[in-house]
Formats: sequence, structure tokens, C-alpha cells
Amino acid sequence: MTAKIKEFPGISLSEQDFADGKILFNFDKLNGIYAWDTGVGIGSYLASLKNGVILGSRCNTCRKIVVPPRVVCEQCYRPMDEYVPLQDTGTVNTFSLCYVTWDVKRITDPQIPAVIEIDGASPLHGIMHMLGEVDPQAVKIGMRVKAVWKPAEERQGSVNDILYFKPIEED
Amino acid sequence: MTLLHRDPNAPLAWLGDLPVENRYTFGLAGEKFFRALKDNGQILGTHCTNCDITYVPATVFCERCLSQLDEWVDVGTTGEVVTFTFLFVNLDGTPRQEPEIIAFVRFADGGLIHRLGDVEPEQVEFGMAVQAVFKPASERTGSILDIDHFKPV
Repeated sequence: MTAKIKEFPGISLSEQDFADGKILFNFDKLNGIYAWDTGVGIGSYLASLKNGVILGSRCNTCRKIVVPPRVVCEQCYRPMDEYVPLQDTGTVNTFSLCYVTWDVKRITDPQIPAVIEIDGASPLHGIMHMLGEVDPQAVKIGMRVKAVWKPAEERQGSVNDILYFKPIEED
Repeated sequence: MTLLHRDPNAPLAWLGDLPVENRYTFGLAGEKFFRALKDNGQILGTHCTNCDITYVPATVFCERCLSQLDEWVDVGTTGEVVTFTFLFVNLDGTPRQEPEIIAFVRFADGGLIHRLGDVEPEQVEFGMAVQAVFKPASERTGSILDIDHFKPV
């Protein structure tokens, strides 16, 4: 409620009202099945994640390495020249402390989505992932992190083959 | 032209399922309408005395003069086929031999869209009087499908 409005008009319903059958309703589940063609670049990226490698691609004209790999350079529109295996370490470019899950449930321990500039790729080129094994208050932009992978036999060729990135100590 | 090739182990497609679910409550008038359908096997409408229009299904406001409606009327279970169509394709795209007959059945100044049963497709006519066939009370859930179908009187 707000300072001016003590009670909103209408009838408030709780989950219990539905369970008790106090209110009639119609439940519907849409058919949301889809298949997305992964294409040349992302397909190869997913296949190499299964092998525990983050893949990028290089444009020799622009001397630029992007991740995930693209087949066409975004800067000069020429075909990219080759795939480049990258490190599984990187630097936090930006992050967020998220106290609400994707399906709008409140959580007390925040999830920490972050953009991580991958080592080996050009500066400012990175992927979005989660941070883990870290105190949320200690997360800083510029922090050095390393990927924590799923065991090889559990990997499916997905970005979730990396569980999260955790901070690393460097001299 | 591209210089890069697709990894032969690459998945052809990324498969996913969007978890889209919804729960629709029927509102003030809808709640009372479906409650009567479920508990009493009644089809209810609301009457606007100002415009002399009876809305079926029931509404809380008159669409014409916007006045609040609180005069509830039981319009019976027999209506009139205003228009109809034959469906030869199921919802999932599979063909059907026997068509599903969908009709708009007039009650008072409104009506319900529902299926016709206990009738041959050739026998369906405009203006035909049809009656609601309810499911057994124990199977009703408070949905328009508590009426199983409409049959000729």
C-alpha cells in the first residue's frame, strides 16, 4: 500500500483461496515448445563448450576476437577468419545483485548475473553468466574470475555447462 | 561466403519450452455465472432495465448505457442456433472423419458458443431450438464445458 491509498479497490485473492475452491478459474498452459537453429557460429560454440572450451572467432582485418564466435565481423562485415579457443578466465565487466528469480520469487541470497570479459577475446568482449562462491558484497567491477565447469560427462553443449564463475587470486 | 565451418558435433537446433501458464479468474459476474452453471445447472443473464437488454453470459455493466446491472435472470437451458460451422480438423491439426459442430446459441439478447451433439450434420439448421446437456454434477468444474453439448429439442 502507499501513503495515500490504504486499501486498493477490488478483491484480493490468496493462493489458499484457489486451493480451497473459493474462486472459480480457468488454468491454461500455452504450447511454448520451440527449436532454434544454432547456426554455424553458435553451434560450434556450444559443441566446444561440451569439451570445456570457450570458443571465439577472429577477424584478421580488424584484429578483433569476439565471443561467442560470429561468422561475419560486426565491424567490417567481412567473413571471420578462424575460430580461436579462449581462456576460461576473465574480468567482471558489470554485474547485478538479483533478489528475485526469473519467475518472480523472492530470494534472500542474491543471484549474481555478470558480464565477463573473457581472456583472449578483444577488450570489452565477453559473455553473460553467473558468479558463485563469492560474498555478494565483495563483488567488484574488474574482479578476476574463472569458470567452474560441470563434470565432463554431464555437459550437454549449453552455456550451463559452465556452472558459474568464481573469483581467483592473482598476483 | 563464410570461412568458418560448423562443428560437426554442433547441435542442429536448440530445443526449448517456454513455461507460459496463466490462471484466469472470471470476475464478479463470471464468478456468479459459472457458479450457477456448476451448482444448479442454470444459465444466468443480467437485465438492464434502462435499455431492456438481457446479457448472456451475465455482465456487471450494461455495454450500452454503462449502468450497473444487478437484476439477474435465469434464461433457461434452451436456446436457438444462430449460426454454426463444421470442424474437420482437430486442435492439434489432425483430420477428423466426423465433424465437430460448433454453433452460436442465442439466449435472450446474448448467447454462448458451444458444440452441438446428438445430431447429424445434415440436420443442423439455422433457428433450430437446442437444449443444454449438462455433465453429471460431480464432474462439473465451473467451466463452460460443464455443459457437455447442446442437443436438438
